[in-house]
Amino acid sequence: MGFNWKVAGCAGVLSLGVALSSSIASAAEIYIPNLSYRTGPFAATGIPLMNGQRDYVEMLNARDGGVGGAKLIFDECETGYNTNKGVECYEKTKSKAVVTQPWSTGITLQVLPRTNVDKIPILAPGYGFSPMADGEVFAWAFNPPISYWDGASMILNYISDGDLSSLNGKKVALLHLDHPFGKEPIPLIEKLAEENGFEFLPIPVGLKEMQNQSAQWLQIRRERPDFVIMWGWGAMNAGAITEAVKTRYPMDQFVGVWWSGYDGDLKLVGEKGKGYKSISWNVPGSYPVMDDIKTHVVDAGNSLLDSPEDMNSVFYQRGIVISMILVEGIKAAQEKFGTPEINAEQLRWGLENLNITDEVLADLGMAGMTVPFSTSCTNHTGHGGGWMLEWNGTEFVQVSDKLMPDRAVIEPLEKAKAAEYAESNAPWPDRSALPCE
Amino acid sequence: MIFRTAGQFKTSYEADQALFPIKQDFYLVLGVLLLAYVVFPLTASEFAFKALLVPVLIYSLAALGLNILTGYCGQLSLGTAAFMGVGAYATYKFMSIFPEMNIFVAIFLSGFFSAAVGVAFGLPSLRIKGFYLAIATLAAQFFLVWLFEKWAWLYNYNASGAIEVSTSSVFGITVTGPTALPIVQYYCVLIVVTLVTWFAINLTRGRYGRMWKATRDMDIAAELVGIKLITAKLTAFAVSSYIVGIAGGLLVFFWKGAAEPNLFDIPLSFQILFIAIIGGLGSILGNYLGAILIVALPVVLNLLPNALGIPIDSATLEHLNVMIVGALIIAFLILEPHGLARFYAIIREKLILWPFPY
Repeated sequence: MGFNWKVAGCAGVLSLGVALSSSIASAAEIYIPNLSYRTGPFAATGIPLMNGQRDYVEMLNARDGGVGGAKLIFDECETGYNTNKGVECYEKTKSKAVVTQPWSTGITLQVLPRTNVDKIPILAPGYGFSPMADGEVFAWAFNPPISYWDGASMILNYISDGDLSSLNGKKVALLHLDHPFGKEPIPLIEKLAEENGFEFLPIPVGLKEMQNQSAQWLQIRRERPDFVIMWGWGAMNAGAITEAVKTRYPMDQFVGVWWSGYDGDLKLVGEKGKGYKSISWNVPGSYPVMDDIKTHVVDAGNSLLDSPEDMNSVFYQRGIVISMILVEGIKAAQEKFGTPEINAEQLRWGLENLNITDEVLADLGMAGMTVPFSTSCTNHTGHGGGWMLEWNGTEFVQVSDKLMPDRAVIEPLEKAKAAEYAESNAPWPDRSALPCE
Repeated sequence: MIFRTAGQFKTSYEADQALFPIKQDFYLVLGVLLLAYVVFPLTASEFAFKALLVPVLIYSLAALGLNILTGYCGQLSLGTAAFMGVGAYATYKFMSIFPEMNIFVAIFLSGFFSAAVGVAFGLPSLRIKGFYLAIATLAAQFFLVWLFEKWAWLYNYNASGAIEVSTSSVFGITVTGPTALPIVQYYCVLIVVTLVTWFAINLTRGRYGRMWKATRDMDIAAELVGIKLITAKLTAFAVSSYIVGIAGGLLVFFWKGAAEPNLFDIPLSFQILFIAIIGGLGSILGNYLGAILIVALPVVLNLLPNALGIPIDSATLEHLNVMIVGALIIAFLILEPHGLARFYAIIREKLILWPFPY
């Protein structure tokens, strides 16, 4: 009687399957979804950011087997920056997710009230709206390391060499997307303009005219502002930069917010864009962490990047910083609650008690890549500051020391607007259920 | 066999003109209502409520509004989303000025605002027709969205420029805001949609419906038989915008919870026009079938690979999804250019004759 190979084979496969599934079930896992936008009108800027976020997490999984003994399950739900899809993705992911990363302002606004009820923290690094910094009101929302108002204040500090009164009598234009995101810095700049006696000129760019800004640049040519600050996103940035080159606006007087500093937009004009600046909370370069990502993810063929050169782009590296912030939150929560498999409420605590110092960054192989900051119960942003980057014709380079926002001016505004939001969304839950520790 | 009409005799004109000339139709509607009112609420998950059922109902309602104007009265409109916006902003203003107001009263009242705006933008229809009218309604689309952005009073001078929904309750049950249960919101939307559909069916079968259809088929002939075009066209604009406005209020208050002005921009108008066209112009049922195809199908397709265990990254899935839905739309339109409702009507006729076709 011969040995029954078929039966043996089946038994082997079965036992292997059982072993595999049981090992999967026993390992701790943390599910971190990302509401990505690799399609749609903003895909060009979305893809590098999403790639960076994904690759950092994949690197940790490959190099350390996850974080604190828990494997990270990074999942993308495609929204195409569309708010309807955002609702769908939020509902789809929320039962397992420890965090929601909504990406678009519209989705953030829709999701924000619901996160209080569903008890899921929102992580919106460098976006979301500025009053979210007030942790007393927005217990579940986080926008580290700096808010838009911080950014506006830092840009003004830079162009005035740290002395806002030197802007007296000058004219500052704000070329902005005519959308909640673009209008964000207006209340702060208006206030500073009044206090320091400079003229403030907001120039809106409608969503439909992003790619054709001739009217706006005609106005800039006529008004001759001393500085143009840009609050743009997606196709608007490339449109503005090409128009600026066409109208020969001096590039060294043209400064963008961090979402307006995408390499791809500047590559279109190359040398002619020399001198264009953008504030940023990450500096592109070669850091030890980038080498790890190259070995464990990109060279291993697990990255979605088109070519390894894209690893140097500002936005790809910013995606890495964003995932780093999330993972540090997870680590803090794991330490505090003594379990590898944390839940959403524990992660909320972790994000509220982030302490990313220079030493932590050095340990992560990211010294100098982003700004050190710490969050607390009252401060959900951290206000870590940033650097000015300048386009040198081929890439963005750091041209300033660390800039800091004028918190004394911004803080009362944040408090007032946060209270206003809570009032218009009444009854807004207070923090009595989430005491500060 | 299923649709056997043997033994169903009509002995009066009333019976011949009844809403359900065949008993089987009545049972079918009863079955659908049973499904919507009992089976779905018992079985649906929170995701199904939020991503499938509620949006399908709201989009169907908006398409129904547009269908009255375009399908029944023959006036092409590209401003549907803007009229939805008027309804949504009016509801928002009502609720912020009178916080104690019943949300349903607010929604039904704000329908009158969008009706008024609709009539105002419908005035050019008295002189222009077809594509030229479409351009005039396109002007409404651009102007109103611009107004939603610029007129800060409309959004209570919010820093975000968006409208946000506060919590409100009816008879002690929370119906809007983040704490409202999805099942409650579903029932609210379902009841409103049922009522408006019933109203629309009767209206389109009655005197006004006939007036609109006559205007649509040939306006000069309609005028010759004594139909006042001005009343016919403007009532169609008013009723259509009223329903569309209600749909806008429901969209923001019972589904999204917050809205930016550009939500009401032209892509939404097109989406609703597509629902009406693919569902079938000049039919009530078509709006529901169209909404299922355009709103629900992509959501279901998105879930499929995961449920079947096929690993696919979500951006590729999105591209595939757009391609599949696009191909289906074209396929349906080639198969039956008059829309899904006509498709259903043909099936029904065949079933009545089956198994003995002449």
